[in-house]
Amino acid sequence: MATFRKVCLLLSKHQKPLFRLRKANLSTTSILAQYWNKDWKPGPIPRTPEERAAAAKKYGLRPEDYNVLADGDIGDYPDLPLVARSWRDPFEDYDLPGERRNYGEPVNATADIIGADLWDPNADGYYTYGQIVFYAVLTFCGFLTAYLALSPYEYFPPEMPKQYPFNNLYLEKGGDPANEPEIKHYTFKRPEE
Amino acid sequence: MGNMWYTYVTNPDTAPDYKNPPTFDPLYGFPEGREERKICATRQQLDRAKVPIQKRDYCVDYYMKFLECRQQHFPRVWTHCHHQIHDWEHCQIEDTVLRVKEWERERRLKERAKRKAKQESMEAME
Repeated sequence: MATFRKVCLLLSKHQKPLFRLRKANLSTTSILAQYWNKDWKPGPIPRTPEERAAAAKKYGLRPEDYNVLADGDIGDYPDLPLVARSWRDPFEDYDLPGERRNYGEPVNATADIIGADLWDPNADGYYTYGQIVFYAVLTFCGFLTAYLALSPYEYFPPEMPKQYPFNNLYLEKGGDPANEPEIKHYTFKRPEE
Repeated sequence: MGNMWYTYVTNPDTAPDYKNPPTFDPLYGFPEGREERKICATRQQLDRAKVPIQKRDYCVDYYMKFLECRQQHFPRVWTHCHHQIHDWEHCQIEDTVLRVKEWERERRLKERAKRKAKQESMEAME
């Protein structure tokens, strides 16, 4: 009882918050889950050669490479080729091998939607539209041919037709009572005397 | 599967015609005869019970017992009429087995007829 009282008093004196908001480390990936740094916001469009050189250095480009700005209203972000990750050399020793990218290498402004397995803007179709339509129709015609070729050979279990009493239900099927035939059916057993 | 291979590929000439009744005499090869298939119900009884035509086979006796049980115990049919349904379905299975045996008998008699014809033609040549 005494320890319980002590515990209650200690808890009442506790002033700090019970949990801290988790602070994520600075992320090196281009996909940001929860934290964004204000230093990463693109600056204004550079007008003078000095501004241009500084912007090139910020993005990790050489000043002669930094000529074209990206589309849209995103300031001084450079226009980089939109290449899928899978197109990059697979055997090079990258800092981030999962991304096939080195640390600090600039990426396209819309690079977060380009993954190794996602949309590849430079991938040409392997088959033309006409080829696709042709092969689809051919497959259907193949199934149709198989169906028509095999339809004379229908499936059946190894049984003779079913036997019905009363002369194969002659009267029930609308036969003439005067011409009722005499049909008998047998089992495979010996007749019991 | 084997019966279809037999009928369509290997022996189309001696394969039985599964759509028509057997062509050989039913008592051929049975010196002591065969037991006849019979049912206990009469035509009048079947008409009064309004049994559908498809169900008027050689298992109608068991079916009529099931109908009687169903009329007594409706709507709790599955609970009380399990025995009758089982007897009826067992009769259907026996009927199916008999049909298969008829197919096999027809096949063997056809093969025998073919062998006999071949032997006679060989004897005629000599």
